[in-house]
Amino acid sequence: MRQAATDARGLIAAARDAGRAALSEAGAKAILASFDIKVPRGITVPRGRKPSTCVGALAAPFAIKVVSQAILHKSDVGGVRIGVAANDVDTAVADMEAGIAAKGLPIEGWLVEEMAPKGVEVVIGGTVDDRFGPCVRVGLGGVFIELIADVAFRLCPITRRDAAEMLDELRGVKLLRGWRGTQPADVKAVIDALVNVGGMDGLMLAFSGMIRELDINPLIVGKAGAVAADARIILERSAP
Amino acid sequence: MNAPVDEFARLLRPRSIAVVGASSSGAGLANSFIRNLQSANYAGQIYPVHPNAAQIEGLAAYKSLADLPKPVDYAYIAVSAERSPALFEAATGKVRFAQVISSGFAETGEAALEARLVAACRAAGARLLGPNCLGIFSAAGRVSFIDRVAMEPGGVAVLSQSGGLGVDILRRGQVRGLRYNCLVTLGNSADLTPVDLVQHLLADDEVKVIGLYLEDIRDGRRFFELLRRNAACKPVVILKGGRTVAGQRASASHTGALAQDDRIWTALAKQTGAVLVDTLDAFLDALLVFQLLTPRRGGSTRKVALFGNGGGTSVLASDAFSRAGFDIPTLNDRALSGLRALNLPPGSSIENPIDTPAPTLNQEKGAIAARILECIYDDGSIGAMVMHINMPVMLSFSDEAVLPNLIKAALDIQVKYPDRMHFLLVLRSDGELDIEAERARYRNLATGLGVPVFGELIEAARALSCLAWHENALARLRDDSH
Repeated sequence: MRQAATDARGLIAAARDAGRAALSEAGAKAILASFDIKVPRGITVPRGRKPSTCVGALAAPFAIKVVSQAILHKSDVGGVRIGVAANDVDTAVADMEAGIAAKGLPIEGWLVEEMAPKGVEVVIGGTVDDRFGPCVRVGLGGVFIELIADVAFRLCPITRRDAAEMLDELRGVKLLRGWRGTQPADVKAVIDALVNVGGMDGLMLAFSGMIRELDINPLIVGKAGAVAADARIILERSAP
Repeated sequence: MNAPVDEFARLLRPRSIAVVGASSSGAGLANSFIRNLQSANYAGQIYPVHPNAAQIEGLAAYKSLADLPKPVDYAYIAVSAERSPALFEAATGKVRFAQVISSGFAETGEAALEARLVAACRAAGARLLGPNCLGIFSAAGRVSFIDRVAMEPGGVAVLSQSGGLGVDILRRGQVRGLRYNCLVTLGNSADLTPVDLVQHLLADDEVKVIGLYLEDIRDGRRFFELLRRNAACKPVVILKGGRTVAGQRASASHTGALAQDDRIWTALAKQTGAVLVDTLDAFLDALLVFQLLTPRRGGSTRKVALFGNGGGTSVLASDAFSRAGFDIPTLNDRALSGLRALNLPPGSSIENPIDTPAPTLNQEKGAIAARILECIYDDGSIGAMVMHINMPVMLSFSDEAVLPNLIKAALDIQVKYPDRMHFLLVLRSDGELDIEAERARYRNLATGLGVPVFGELIEAARALSCLAWHENALARLRDDSH
C-alpha cells in the first residue's frame, strides 16, 4: 500500500475513535488528495475566527461551506455560498451563521475553498456490497443522475480500460467527449480519478473494511484536469 | 474451511454412498434414489440407513450413520428438517459429503435449525450440500438423483441452487444434445457454496463449460476473483434468479437468498467475460454452443451469413442478428460470382441473407445446397454460417429426398471445413408431431457431428451472441494481462 494510504488510515481511525459516522469534507478531501485526486485549495476556519484574516494565501472567488457533524446536507440548511468575493467573505459567513444558529444547529467552523474552474460535472461513487465487497460507479452530474440515472457500475478493482468503457456506457458521454462544437473535457483525468478510487491500488480496496461509502459530487472536469469540488466519506461502523 | 480441490472428485465419483430416509415400503425420494443408482449401474457400495428395517430395496440396512461399517464418500439424506442434525451424532469421520434434501431451514425462517445442521456436519467432519435441494448427477460416477437421464458423459458441468430447475436442465438439455459431466444441486448452500464447486470445476480438464443457476452466491468476492483469474479461459454461463424486486422476494422464500444489487451481475459479466442469460432456454442454448463450437481466439465473431428458405423469415433473421450485434454483410466478389454462376431460379436472392425458396432448394433434389454453401464458404471474412430450413414446407412441396439432402449438405460442409466458420442449423417446425419427430431425429444427427440445432433464428442469434461475448472477453482479457 502506498504511504499516503497509511497516513490516511490515521485520519480515519481518529474520526472513528471520536465516534464520527463520516469524515468531515476537509478530511474526505485530504484522503482524495493522498490518492492523487485533485481537490480545491482551501482552509478550515474554526468558528469565532474572522475568516478574512485566514484566507490570505487563497485566490478569490471562494466557495464557503459550513463545517458541522450535525449537518449532512449543507446546502439544505443554507450552509453553502459560492462565488464569494474576497471583500464579502466575513459578511457571507455572518449571514450563514445567523441562519443556521436560528435552526438550532451547531457550527464547528467554515471551509473556505478556491472555486474550481467551470467544466462538466461528473459523479464518482464507491459502495461496499454485502456479498461482493467494494464497487465503483460513475455518472454525469446534475439532471443526468437525477432524471435518467445515467450511471455505469463495476466491481473493484477496475482497469483503465474498464474505466474508459464505463464512460462510454453513459448516454451523456458526448458532454465529456465534446458536443455541438463544445471543446472536449479532459476524459483522461476522469479515468485517472476512477482508477484512483476503484483500481487495484485505489482508495476503495485500500480502505476495504474501513469505508462504507464514498461520494465525489461533483468532480468538475475541465479542459485540462478534474477537481473534486465536494466529497463525502461514510465510515464502516465496526473496526476491521 | 475450503475443501481441497481434489476432495470434490470424491463427491462426483463416490466409492460408497449412504442413503438416509428410504422406507421399507419402497415409497419416497430416497427409495427412488437407490433405484436410480441401481439402474445406472452404480459400481460402489450402497448403504441404506434405517432405524429398524433390516433391508431396504434389497440391500442390508444400518441403524445409523454411526453404525456404518466403513466411511462413505457421499450421504443422501431425506428425513425431516428437525431430525437431520441429530443424524450426525457419534458419526465423526463416517461421511465425507452429506447432501440434505429436506426443506424447512433458512428459507422458511428456520435459520437456527440450519446453523445447527451445519455445526453437526462440521463436528462430524462432513461437508454439507444443501439443505433444500435434490441431489447430484455425475456421469463418470454413475450417480443420478433422477431417472430419464442419459449417463453418456459430456463436458457440461452445472451447479444449481434450485433442485427442480436442475431436473429441467438435465432433461430438457439432453434432448437438445447437451451431455453432462455433472450437475450438483446446492439449495440453500449453507456450507458448501457454488463458489467452492466452481473452483473445482474450473480446474477439471474434463469440464468444457460451466453453467450456474444462482440465487445467492454467498461468497461473491471470491467468486469474482476466481472468474477474473479464469480470464474467460473456460466459459461460464450464469442464469441468475431474482434480478427484480418480485424475483428477489420469491428467491428469499425459495432458498433464503438476501436481496442484492442487480447491477453487480451485469458488471461481473463485463469484467470477467461470464455469459449472463435470462431464461432457461437461453441458458441451455448457450451451453450447447459452448459444448459444440470452439471459441475463436483472435477476436469475436461478427460477420454472419444467413442461408435458407423463407423471405419474411430472412428479413426477421437479419433484424434478430443485427440487434444481437452481428453484421450480415454482402458476400465478397468471389462468393458472389460463384453464386451467380449457379443460375438459381427467379425469386432467389444471393445477397446476404441468401434467400432460396423451396423451388430453388428442390434443384438436384436438394444437392444444390451443397454448392451454395461451397460458394458462401469462399468468403473467408464470414465468422458464422446460419442455415435455416422450414421443415414442413420442404416436406410438403418436395421430393422426400430433398430434406435429407439439405441436411446432409449442412453437415458435410461443417465436417469438410470444421474450423473455417461456426455452423449453426435452424430447423423450423410448425409443431405437428410428425415434424417434431423428424426434427428430433435430425437434431441428434447434427449435434452428434458438432452442429448445434435451434428451433428458431432468434434462438440461434441469442446463442451465437453468447459465444461472441465469450470470444470478445477472451481477446480483451488476454490484452489486459500484457
